[in-house]
Formats: sequence, structure tokens, C-alpha cells
Amino acid sequence: MADNSATQQLFDLWKKQVDEGTQAWLRMAGQGTAPDPQAFWRPFMDQGMQAWSKVMTQGTASPDLLAQWKQFLDQWIAAWSKVLEQAMGTENFAQAMGKQLEGFLNVSGPAKKAAEQQIEVGLSTLGLPSRTLVIGLAKQIAGLEEKIEGLEDRLDAVLARLDGLAGKKAPG
Amino acid sequence: MKDELFTMTPDMPAMSPEMLARWQEELRRNSLRMKHFSEMIMNPKEPEVGPTPREEIYRKGKSRLWRYASKRTVKTPLLFVPNLGISRPYIFDLMPKGSFIEHMTDKGFDFYLVDWGVFGPEDNGLTLEHAVTKILPRLAKKALESSGATEMSVLGYCMGAPLSLSWLASTPEFPVKNYIDMAGPIDFSQVGLFGLWLDARYFDVDKYVDTLGAIPADMVKMGFKLLKPTMDVSTNLNLWWNLWNPDYVAGFNALNKWANEYLPFPGEFFRQWVKEYYQQNRLYKGELTMGGRPVRLGSIRCPVLAVGAKEDNIAPPGCVKPLISAVSSVDKEYVELPGGHISLIAGRGASVHCWPKVSSWLSARS
Repeated sequence: MADNSATQQLFDLWKKQVDEGTQAWLRMAGQGTAPDPQAFWRPFMDQGMQAWSKVMTQGTASPDLLAQWKQFLDQWIAAWSKVLEQAMGTENFAQAMGKQLEGFLNVSGPAKKAAEQQIEVGLSTLGLPSRTLVIGLAKQIAGLEEKIEGLEDRLDAVLARLDGLAGKKAPG
Repeated sequence: MKDELFTMTPDMPAMSPEMLARWQEELRRNSLRMKHFSEMIMNPKEPEVGPTPREEIYRKGKSRLWRYASKRTVKTPLLFVPNLGISRPYIFDLMPKGSFIEHMTDKGFDFYLVDWGVFGPEDNGLTLEHAVTKILPRLAKKALESSGATEMSVLGYCMGAPLSLSWLASTPEFPVKNYIDMAGPIDFSQVGLFGLWLDARYFDVDKYVDTLGAIPADMVKMGFKLLKPTMDVSTNLNLWWNLWNPDYVAGFNALNKWANEYLPFPGEFFRQWVKEYYQQNRLYKGELTMGGRPVRLGSIRCPVLAVGAKEDNIAPPGCVKPLISAVSSVDKEYVELPGGHISLIAGRGASVHCWPKVSSWLSARS
């Protein structure tokens, strides 16, 4: 039978690091009341330990261990997902994200405008249609399509009225 | 001496024949995993999506109306209204035996799909109101004409539900026979993480639209990835686990193609969508107007089915269910099915839970 005390120590160390990491993450995200990390990790940690114990004590390994390992990883991911969801569901996170986006817009807005102007000047110098011109053309086509549809609708209405009138006259 | 040298594991306990067979199966799966993995990397094939035959009935700007081939044994045709922007609608007809549209056409429905199209910078001025009062009614009218029917059922999926309800609730003269809301948010005060992130206190939609003009596809992708940051890890883990199975790989390739094809939002559409729906919840409060007409969910009187998905983090059940209390229908039902926002309508679970429920509910009323 294999001695698994060294494995157990490593596992405990890893578990501790995960707990501390989670706590740090929650603090960073401004979570006021953190969930009990022991309760949070226990179910899948126990399952992981069971799988390890099996490996250490069994003479022959079974392919079931792979399935258990997959299950362990699934629960691990689900647990992280839960932690992240809790952290991202806070007002502080929403506020931080809003500020990040605003910062991005403050930088990208003027840069985008300057780049567009440069391209516009460049294309016009080369005698090529600019993006604004093409967009304007596309808008005009869309406008024409709208007008044709309007005419089609009016024509349908006139035809419907004519059909109605013909229907009224027919019996007489 | 010779035996000791050439016996690999003389002390290893004997393995039972059953265990040996299971390990052999595991090894076989691993070799298949390697084979499929190398095929995906070295010789990736473009998955074929949208297998159900269809014809284009009408085109308005970028938007198209598709009619799918079917026996048309069900009297009332069905108009399917999906989301505008975000993603392509071929998710509803992903692959043979994995398609909601195929299921519905097999059941005899005359199925029409609104494909909003891919909008470019020339469409930045397209408003939500235009989509609801001009595009949608036009396509619905064409569908009705094409079918020769006098009434039509409407199914709104995701954003397609609030859009189609905004149209129907402001157009009581449209002959809607039945209405289905599938994972479509109605009460935006219950809409979860997106509701919080798009809150007016933190998200300045005007600045966003005024600066960028449109919402680029990459931004849309970022928002959805952020909603479930572990999604890619779990998807890849499940892929590795099932990589030996060619059917799973085919399904994965098709779904993966769709999942990585994000679409931009026209700027003005996004402004109205965020302000009036997410931030002000005007649809549910009855404060919305479309084309000068009030949008009153209470004016909907046809049979209504609302379908929520238990694990949905885009439109959680809590924001779908309130439709039932908001409409005036006598025949109305809410069901909560297993799955998430996408797995509600696509995938193996959907073919077991959602599709039969929707088709049977609709058949009985069509």
C-alpha cells in the first residue's frame, strides 16, 4: 500500500492557496460578505481526495478514475464560475467596468476620429470614393427602397379598394 | 536471469479480463481523440450548417424572410423572430437531426424565419423603432401573403421576443393566432448581470454610441464572454472528453462556428434597446410607444406560451415569466425547462425538452 501522506500535504497546501486566492479575488472585487470557503470547496475537494486515495490504495487503477477526474474538473470550473459570477454581480464591479469603458472611449474616440479624417483626406487626394461617400450612397439606396415600398403599399390599397368596388357592382 | 530482465512488471497484480477490456476501450478512445484532434488542427473542415431547404420570400434592406420546405399540414403558419445583431440565425437550423426548424417543418408547420441580416456602418442610423414598425410588419405581411393564411402564429426568441411583442402590442389589428416567447426578457428589472452592467449609473450608452457609431462585433463578443468567463474552459474540457465521438465532434464544429461569429449592433438601435428596455424597463411598465402608438402588453389576447430556461444567464426565468401576468390572454402558460439560453433551443437537450413542448402546444392551437 502506498504512503499517501506526502500527497495529502501537497493537496492541503494547494487547497489553502485556492482558498486564499478566492478570498483575495473577492476582496479585490469589493464583495462585502464572502462565502465560507470551506463550505464552498468541500464537496468537490472531498471527491478529489477520494479519487486520489483510490489511486494510492488500489493495486490496479480503473478507467473510472478518468471519469472521476473529469467530474472533479467540472466541479472545479463550476465553483470558479460561481465565484466569478458573484464577484461580477456587484455594484463595484459594474462601476469599475463602466469606468474602464469610459476610459477606453476617451482614448479611442479622438484616435478614431483623427484616423477617419486622415483616410478621408488620403482617398480624396487619390480621387477615390471615401467611406462617407459610400455610406451616403448606401443610405440613398435604402431610402429609395423605402419609397418604392411606400408606393407598393399605396398601390395595394388602391387595388383592394377597386376589388371592393367591383365586388359591390357585380351582383347588380 | 533472462526472465527478470525481460519481464516488465513482475510484481504488478493480475488484471481481471473485464478491467483489461475497459482499459482497451479507453486506449481506443484515446487514439480516436488524437486522430480527431489532429484532423481538427491539420485539416479543419468548414461545417455545413442550415440543412433544411428554404427559399427567400422577401428582402427589405439587409433583412430577409425565409420560408422553409415542409408538408404544411398545420393550418396556421409560424413566423420566427430571432435577435437582431449578436449572432447569426443558423443556430436554429444547425445540422441534420439537430435543428429546431427541421423539427418544426417535420411536424408540418409552414415555417418563416426573419433574418435581420448583418448591419454595417450605413445602418448606424437604424433605430429599434424602425425595425419594429417598418421591417417586422412588412416581413410578417409578406409571410402571411405567401402562406395564403388569414392568421399567423409568432415565436420570439431572445431579443426577438421583446421586439415582436413591441410590434404586436402596438398593432392589435395584426391577425396573430398564438404567441410564444422563448427565453425573451420582458421584465428588465430581473434581467441579471447584463441589467446591472448596463445600468444608467455605470453605462453611458449615449457616449458609447456617439463615439463608436455602432457596437462592433468584438465588443458584443467581449460582453457575452464576460457573462460566463469559464465557458471556454469547460467547452474545451468537454471537447477533449468527447473527442473520440465523431458525432460530438461534428456537433461541436457546427456550434463552435456559430459561437464565434458575432455580429455588430447598429448604433441607434443599441441606444434605444439599452435605454428604453434595459435602463427604463418601458415595455413591461407599459410606457413604450412605437410609431406613435402605445405598446400595451395587455392588448395581447391570443394564447401565449412563455418558455424560460433554468440556467439562462442572459434572460433568466425571472424576466421571462412576467409576460404571463402582463398579457390579457385567457389561454396562457409558463414552462421552465432545463438548459441555458442556447441549449434551450439547440442541442440534444432541446430536442428532448423544448422542441416537443413548443410543437405540441402550437399544434393544438393551430
